[in-house]
Amino acid sequence: MHTIELKNISKEYNGVTVLNDINLYIQENEFLTLLGPSGCGKTTTLRIIGGFEEPTKGTVLFEEKDITDIPPYKRQINTVFQKYALFPHLDVYDNIAFGLKIKKLPKSEIDSKVKEMLRLVNLQGFEKRSIDSLSGGQQQRIAIARALVNEPKVLLLDEPLGALDLKLRKDMQIELKNMQKRVGITFIYVTHDQEEALTMSDTIVVMDKGRIQQIGTPVDIYNEPKNAFVAEFIGESNIIDGIMHEDYLVEFSGQNFKCVDKGFRKGENIEVVIRPEDIEIVSVANGQLNGIVKSVTFKGVHYEMIIESKDFEWMIHSTIMKEVGTEIGMTVLPENIHIMKKVRAE
Amino acid sequence: MKMKKVAYPYILWMAIFIVIPLFLILYFAFTTGDSQNFATFQFSLDNFKRFFTPTYLKVLGRSVNLAFISTIICLILGYPLAYIISKAEPRKRNMMVLMLVIPMWMNFLLRTYAWLTLLGRNGFINFVITKIGFKPLELIYNDKAVLLGMVYNFLPFMVLPIYTVLIKIEKSLIEAAEDLGANKIEVFSKVVLPLSMPGIITGITMVFIPAVSTFVISALLGGNKYNLIGNLVEQQFRWTGDWHFGSSMSIILMIFILITMALTSKFDKEKEGGGGGLW
Repeated sequence: MHTIELKNISKEYNGVTVLNDINLYIQENEFLTLLGPSGCGKTTTLRIIGGFEEPTKGTVLFEEKDITDIPPYKRQINTVFQKYALFPHLDVYDNIAFGLKIKKLPKSEIDSKVKEMLRLVNLQGFEKRSIDSLSGGQQQRIAIARALVNEPKVLLLDEPLGALDLKLRKDMQIELKNMQKRVGITFIYVTHDQEEALTMSDTIVVMDKGRIQQIGTPVDIYNEPKNAFVAEFIGESNIIDGIMHEDYLVEFSGQNFKCVDKGFRKGENIEVVIRPEDIEIVSVANGQLNGIVKSVTFKGVHYEMIIESKDFEWMIHSTIMKEVGTEIGMTVLPENIHIMKKVRAE
Repeated sequence: MKMKKVAYPYILWMAIFIVIPLFLILYFAFTTGDSQNFATFQFSLDNFKRFFTPTYLKVLGRSVNLAFISTIICLILGYPLAYIISKAEPRKRNMMVLMLVIPMWMNFLLRTYAWLTLLGRNGFINFVITKIGFKPLELIYNDKAVLLGMVYNFLPFMVLPIYTVLIKIEKSLIEAAEDLGANKIEVFSKVVLPLSMPGIITGITMVFIPAVSTFVISALLGGNKYNLIGNLVEQQFRWTGDWHFGSSMSIILMIFILITMALTSKFDKEKEGGGGGLW
């Protein structure tokens, strides 16, 4: 059974389409990330699941029941908002207890649940603190505690780590993932940070221009991008035009390469995606392709080099540094050559 | 705290126009004699003794009562109005605020006089009533006319501070409350109302103070027979010439307002930092 299912969801604002026929299902205990650039419709999708927006077309199913017209307060879904949206007139305890008090639980039960939540987010003893006395990271945890204390079946998170600094964000990513495993509920997470998505998700939904571009596991999305947008958005890549001569044989840059893809028409024009770290630097004699180093940038773990070959500029990530101006050879293993159907350029 | 040099003109200003007059009023309040002749002044508590007699206390009571009722009416009318304006789309919202503020560009006296021509014995309303064959009504020179004048004149002072606080409440807070299971009524009572308390306190203050000390509204719409504490003070200064008694009444009114405001702000338990309150 799917926890949540979106069927043919479209959304328009004043005639502008922001979501175009979204179909998606989310399984129990899944960590699903909606990933895309700003304006791609990921937040709107999340708000439709939360009930804060009504879709123009389509239905939202929650455990196979239609909840499209159910207001947010009647949904078994809770949200961690982008800027936390903690109540400034209430202290930490009352913020977390808000939902439980609405449900009119007995005081002792509220007490023990709030305490347990504070332990889960590692903020014991913060009950009486006011919201503005907390740091961004602490507010973040309180926002998560306030949502989780209601024991929702689904937790929605709208770029919850966006306001935190890099170090804290990395820690929180791991912490959130652990929390999700511990409480065992479905997380639907919105972010524009591809690294964050790759780190945390079971499933990534890449969105652009109101459409789903690809759904898959982080490894699938990274290794087998379905189109140029996904390839560009998830990490760096070299995308070059090519021709598929037969199954397992592709031509690009005037050379034939073995690959692991099949099922294309003979002579079909396709696009080839090669990740910068998948290109190996070899001697000119052993190279499938040759080129001259045009620029070198130190990136910490690796060097980023731009190699100019006769008809393409290749980006290479390598721990070996070659001086600008040297001629090098390059090879790519067949399994690192990814073939994509050609979509007309926009 | 170290004072910057630029603050000196303001300190001088405050001393000349606020502190010194206050002390003068205090001085007058605690003395008796011929108001025009300093030589005759003597320390005395007679002014206060005179005030604490039933005649004057009744006037104070009536003033406070009327101011209290008009404040409540302003709150009851003003809060929903402020709420509706704050929920409107921005263009409409500005229009509505403008409509609320435009009458305030006109002179206060003029606006109050306008009610005379509406409510008077031969005023517009009675004209219509007699035309359709009824007896004219006593619409003016009573409590209700004074209340009407107060509510009419002071309503914007209730609406604007509440409106200002309401539009600043972030939409995400309301969504968060809904998300946590609060229905519309609970969202209002548990989030919107507590967050708008600073605006309510300011509104109450800004309506109650002028209402309790007004003398123009009661003079025009209440007629001469209808005295409020403001009229008493005015009479002492303008007609009777007893500045001492007038000053002591002002002091009593000030103390009264001070106590009221202190009590009001007590209700605002959340010490919201600078949410627009006067306290």
